[in-house]
Amino acid sequence: MAQAGTTTATARGRLSEWRRRLLALTRPRRREALPARFDRRRIYVLPTGFGAFYGALLATMLLGALNYNNNPALLLALLLAGAGLASLIAAQLQLSGLSIVAIDAEPVPAGQPMTVRVHARAKPDRARRGLRVDDDGALGTGVASLDLDQGAGEAALRLTTERRGWLELPRLRVWTTRPLGLARAWALVWPQAPLLVYPTPEPHGPPLPTGGGDQAVTRLHPAGDDVHHLRAYRPGDARRTIAWKHSARRDILLVREYEQPLGGDVELEWQHLNGLDQEARISRLARWVDEAERDGCRYRLSLPHQPALGPGSGHAHRHACLRALALMPHG
Amino acid sequence: MAELRLPFAAGRRAGDDARAPEGLPPSARRATLLAGASCLLPLLLQLPPSIAALITAVGVGIGLLSWRRPLPSALRLLLVLGLVGAVLVLAGFSLGRDTGCALLAAMFALKPSETYTLRDARSLIGFALFGPFATFLLDQGPWSLVLGLAAVVLALATLQRLAEYESRPDPARAAEPALSPGQRLLSIGRLIAIGLPLALAVFWLFPRLSSPLWGIPDRALARPGLSDSMRPGEMVELLNDETVTLRARFRGAAPPTSQMYWRGPVLWNFDGREWTRSRWIQGLPAAPMRAAGNGWDYELEVEPTDTRDFVALDLPRAAPPGARLTLDHNLYTRRPLSTLTRWQLHSAPPASYEPQLRDTLRRMALSLPEGYNPRTLALAQRWRAEAGADDAAIVRRAMAMIRGEFAYTLATPLLGRHSVDEFLFDHKAGYCEHFSSAFVVLMRGAGVPARVVTGYAGGYYNPVGNYWLVRRSDAHAWAEVWLRGRGWVRVDPTAAVAPERIYDTLADRQPGAGGLFGGIAAATPLFNLSDWLRRGWNDFVLGFDASRQQRMLQPFGVDRLDNHKLVLLFVLFASVAGIWMVWLSSRGERERDPVVRAWRALGRRYRRLGLERQPHEPALAWAGRVAQARPDLGESLLRLSQHFSDWRYAGNGPGRREARALRNELVRALRAHRPGPSGERR
Repeated sequence: MAQAGTTTATARGRLSEWRRRLLALTRPRRREALPARFDRRRIYVLPTGFGAFYGALLATMLLGALNYNNNPALLLALLLAGAGLASLIAAQLQLSGLSIVAIDAEPVPAGQPMTVRVHARAKPDRARRGLRVDDDGALGTGVASLDLDQGAGEAALRLTTERRGWLELPRLRVWTTRPLGLARAWALVWPQAPLLVYPTPEPHGPPLPTGGGDQAVTRLHPAGDDVHHLRAYRPGDARRTIAWKHSARRDILLVREYEQPLGGDVELEWQHLNGLDQEARISRLARWVDEAERDGCRYRLSLPHQPALGPGSGHAHRHACLRALALMPHG
Repeated sequence: MAELRLPFAAGRRAGDDARAPEGLPPSARRATLLAGASCLLPLLLQLPPSIAALITAVGVGIGLLSWRRPLPSALRLLLVLGLVGAVLVLAGFSLGRDTGCALLAAMFALKPSETYTLRDARSLIGFALFGPFATFLLDQGPWSLVLGLAAVVLALATLQRLAEYESRPDPARAAEPALSPGQRLLSIGRLIAIGLPLALAVFWLFPRLSSPLWGIPDRALARPGLSDSMRPGEMVELLNDETVTLRARFRGAAPPTSQMYWRGPVLWNFDGREWTRSRWIQGLPAAPMRAAGNGWDYELEVEPTDTRDFVALDLPRAAPPGARLTLDHNLYTRRPLSTLTRWQLHSAPPASYEPQLRDTLRRMALSLPEGYNPRTLALAQRWRAEAGADDAAIVRRAMAMIRGEFAYTLATPLLGRHSVDEFLFDHKAGYCEHFSSAFVVLMRGAGVPARVVTGYAGGYYNPVGNYWLVRRSDAHAWAEVWLRGRGWVRVDPTAAVAPERIYDTLADRQPGAGGLFGGIAAATPLFNLSDWLRRGWNDFVLGFDASRQQRMLQPFGVDRLDNHKLVLLFVLFASVAGIWMVWLSSRGERERDPVVRAWRALGRRYRRLGLERQPHEPALAWAGRVAQARPDLGESLLRLSQHFSDWRYAGNGPGRREARALRNELVRALRAHRPGPSGERR
């Protein structure tokens, strides 16, 4: 029993070795710019296990029918073979003419799964349904479905991320076993579309350094005490914030904005974290960026060999800071 | 947007769900079992009823028992052993093609007990496809073909369904609208139609084996046919069987029906009860015969019997390739006739047939068992004493007696020890077996060499296809006596009593009732037509073999196709068919909605102007872009686009009829819009 297990394992190892060699021969062999169009030179059709079984079945039938010169049996076998072949062509056509036009993803901290959206387009001349996208287990943990509706569709593939920085996408495989499950038609796409992975924020760490001094920074706060100024009404503003008197005078709706004094700008200084090694510094700074953003502080990030970012706040600023951190050289 | 899941763990994960053990959704499982059952059905119809009933009962029972949860494996093993044992017992432990098919059917019936995952379902379908295949080995009748074809379509449709399930394993997330049964069959029909040219090219051109690689197993459960022996009283079954046994097409003149004696086994030995063939005589070369007249050229199409001989119009002059003539001018083939075969033959009535009878044969043709039929022997000896040396007078006398005193009937009592005595002196009624047997005993008793010949008499002319068909019910037995100077002469005592039985075999009797088509084709013209169709199918499909294949191009002046020419032709046609397949498949599917179709055609018409609609462009945005580039066209296009998007997105109108009228109007308007290089052209 144990011996059988070992043999199976060896066989599987040999199989995966062959698989690797086979994959090394397939196109594309280097990264490519999107959009990438699948044509017959890069679509491969290989029988599935069931397809091999079906083939063996048909071969048996053919031999038997020829031996007994039994023409209905022969026609039956040939009919099945013809339908099987037509299904191979149909499987290939599911992919043929399909273009992967773009690949994008929201950046996530390293260690968290990243949802990569693969956008595909094709002429809407035939239904392309139930396609599957995966990366053969290089980073992904699953298979995403891709259905094209009116010639466009997207698949959301979940990839694991391990380290910050640019995530070079592995070769993605688009495949289908439809219509009969006899063969798998597949094509690879190796996009030149690096995706950003943010550093992992430190799980537990010291609190955000308090804002250093002179400039009192205020944050707009609808529930604050001091009236700051008036601005034009935007849909969604609460009715009670409308300054009716001023509005009547200016003939447009005006809204009062309040502000509340908060601490000063938060200085996030690389230099101040001397005691830590590179990655620990990056991950602490990443945490602080997130905390500052959450608390609504303005913050400035100073990294070595580059101008300081900020002070500022908001989505774009946070992205700029985390991107700068993510792209710090690996130590 | 899309949730992700592991591709193959899906089955296992869904296994937690108590509703569906191990994953496969119930609807897919139902479809799988249905397809399996439909593959099994034609096979069951060919098996003996007892075995078929047993397998059906077990299959249905297991299907129901194991619907919710798998049966314990011990029970399954027990079932396998039990069913296999039962089938073997019912088949009488004779291992052959039939028993093999019965065992195959039994295995299918057990398969539902372990069909829970995608893999199980696929292997069930795969093995089930052997069902129609096995059926065709047993029977090639029209119903088997129809049922087999239906089963194949269903099986493929189920495979398609399983593949859809594989690419979308989560039933909850199957947002894609499932195909309706009609659409599913349509798409399978499309696959088959696309594969058909290649299948046909291979069918006609793939080199056939002229001799089998391994032997053909005999049918273990023999079907009735002409047998090597005759026991008076047992042919009744055959006489009620309307199955066609052969079809003959004459080149030139056909003999009159009264002369259509299809000569089969010649029976020499009589043990008092049963007439049997003499095996050792079979090995002797054919007896010499001199033909009277030109004879008849004809092609014989013989339905399978699984014996090694077949009947021919008497007397065949020479054996066709693949067969040889025995001493009695029987045709003996090299291998059992398990499939439809066709033979080119030439026959002629004999002027003299074996004029010199060897002593051994003469002794055989005169031998009678001791202690049987004393009254008959006494009568025969009296006749001999009265007639002297004139054998022909004895024959005449016997015929006169039979003609005068006897009646034809199928309702005969069971005969005792002295069967010929009882028939000749007590009952005086019977059918061909009684007449021929009694006649030959009488002749031998009188010292005239005689023997019994079995075969078929007469035939039914089908004017639709200009051929004759002979059925099992035409089975007949007659006698041959050896007369000095003339050799063997045919004497038919039955014809003397019931000539209509021979001369108008089928004309008075209800045609049809042959097989399952009988009911449908009860009316004669319809019967003629359906049998003609059947013959056409036989001609084009069933009887196609290596030699027909080699002669295939004769009409085009190619005398004989060698194997390498055949391979070349095969490769050529297969590649053409392959290319055609690709072309057929790659044509896009036609858009079902006529409005969308017209809209897309409209978009394409702008390609020449460089203003084609981009796939991502909404209707109105595109019309706006066109309006900027070509103000002359813009206004009408904008109106059309507005109309189109209203129709498509604003829901349908009040009633179905109005909606259709609106739709047609819109389609007309869309088709009428033709942008020219300068301005709109109507």
